[in-house]
Amino acid sequence: MDDIIRIEHLVKRFGEITAVNDITFSVRRGEFFAFLGVNGAGKSTTISMLCGALARDGGSITVDGTDTEKAPDRIKRMLGVVFQNSTLDKALSVRDNLKSRAALYGIFGREFEKRYGELDELLSLKELEKRAVGKLSGGQRRRADIARALIHSPRILILDEPTTGLDPATRKTVWNVIDKLRAARDMTVFLTTHYMEEAADADDVVIIDSGKIVAHGSPVELKNLYTGDFISFYGGDELEQKLETLGKPLQKIAGGCRIEVSDTAEATRLISSFPELFTDYEVSKGKMDDVFLTVTGKRTGD
Amino acid sequence: MAIGTAVKQTAAFAARNIKLYFKDKGMFITSLISPLILLGLYILFLDGVLKDSFEAVVKGFDVKLAPELMNGFIASFEVSSLIAVSSVTVAFTANMAMVDDRVRGVRNDLLTSPVKNSVLTLGYFIATAFVTLIICLVALAAGLIYIGASGWAMSAGELFLALLDTVLCVLFGTALSSIVCGFLKSRGAMSAVSTIVSVVYGFICGAYYPVSQFASAMQNIVMCLPGTYCTALLRTHFMSGYFDKFVSAGLSTDGAGKLFDGLDGRMYFFGGEVPPWAMYIVVIGTVALLMGLFVALNVLFGKRGQKR
Repeated sequence: MDDIIRIEHLVKRFGEITAVNDITFSVRRGEFFAFLGVNGAGKSTTISMLCGALARDGGSITVDGTDTEKAPDRIKRMLGVVFQNSTLDKALSVRDNLKSRAALYGIFGREFEKRYGELDELLSLKELEKRAVGKLSGGQRRRADIARALIHSPRILILDEPTTGLDPATRKTVWNVIDKLRAARDMTVFLTTHYMEEAADADDVVIIDSGKIVAHGSPVELKNLYTGDFISFYGGDELEQKLETLGKPLQKIAGGCRIEVSDTAEATRLISSFPELFTDYEVSKGKMDDVFLTVTGKRTGD
Repeated sequence: MAIGTAVKQTAAFAARNIKLYFKDKGMFITSLISPLILLGLYILFLDGVLKDSFEAVVKGFDVKLAPELMNGFIASFEVSSLIAVSSVTVAFTANMAMVDDRVRGVRNDLLTSPVKNSVLTLGYFIATAFVTLIICLVALAAGLIYIGASGWAMSAGELFLALLDTVLCVLFGTALSSIVCGFLKSRGAMSAVSTIVSVVYGFICGAYYPVSQFASAMQNIVMCLPGTYCTALLRTHFMSGYFDKFVSAGLSTDGAGKLFDGLDGRMYFFGGEVPPWAMYIVVIGTVALLMGLFVALNVLFGKRGQKR
């Protein structure tokens, strides 16, 4: 796969503060890319520069080989953005919203109807089209937001914390829509999120902290690099006492305890050495939350 | 980008803003009834005072004028005031879409598209002017019915010119509000500005109270403000038909002139009477200047916004 986005030595300053400090990464065509960081880490600033809404102080951004500052209109046609908060007009129907936004891309009349039909197939818009956006449920509104982002058939979909503030069921609905979209269109998805488990399915992850990249790799690579494995034990009241023989710090979990081991080999060694303790257990890799905590020293949502 | 596409985009964006305004029932109905409430307040609180001072002037000339002449003349003063104030206050309310887009982050969404800043700017302007014109035309229709019931004296030509004046006043209000609203970044600031404008503008444009009744220094200050000429134009075309009727009824031209001067039927700038053509020059010039300023500010801030 070739790179569709290349960001090199990107810098953005606001007075004395360097919001984005010499970051370099690339996103391959068709990949699901996750860009993680706490609030104020520099994610939104980077996205604003990528979309051409903010000028950069240094470095370069190219989208499909074109510098974003040299041909901003061309770049804007390649990007579709779903913002954290819905920016559709609450008083207008879904169809009216999409029609007015399509016009901004020069899409009118038959071309709009054709595009609307394609989006309806993908996102089942017909059931929503006459309803005011303000009266939709959280998941339906997100569907409408995604339809708005896709109205001009962009090559890259940017999701800026698309599920923040949504309940788990609605988050699942939103992800089903995005998964369907990726499967159908082979689209490049650029995600920023606070929910680390959403990044676990990404092809590539960049973690940014205080404007600098602090980790970069696939979720598995990051887990192997920054977290150990975990062995979770389940059992009765005497479990904790028995596990003390392992000489490892115990973390309480629902229905039992877990210990951290350096890697799967150590877990295997412990199983061989203390078979009597391993009656009800599971070995798992660390989670993206653990990776994030290790590399930034911050918990997500900080 | 082809001009045809830009025109279609502007029309679509203006249509979106107009729809947003009319879908907000609270805002639409409030804007619609505000001028009518103002007319009601004029009738309730000022009508008596204006009629008393009118009668006091007429008494000095020992002439008896038909009541419909007095009633129609005063009604014309009130309706011209109403249109002068509404064309600005409604424009500020109608411009809420622009401020709201900024507050809700919609502006960022709009700017992710390859649309020109000028398309958005013009779209807001057209929508505000359209909405303000609709509300002012409704107010004008109600006002004309009220004048008709009180005592009609306008010719068809004067009615046409009053309509033209209304359009000019709307353009003036739209351009002024667009510039001010361009600097507002919260709904609180917007409603504070709207409140101040509603209270202050009526006085400084000579709508709430005749300029001729102000202290002479204040008269000169108010006559330096372009909004006063919007009111003056409306007054001229709403009220001028009564001059001949007063004279035909036996009042001297001096007497009719006194009545006119008392209710701003004629306006003076440092002692000299301002003719209607001069009023048109001031109003049209101001509208052009404000629109130019609005465009210049948008170009300037549009470019700066990118560098922030």
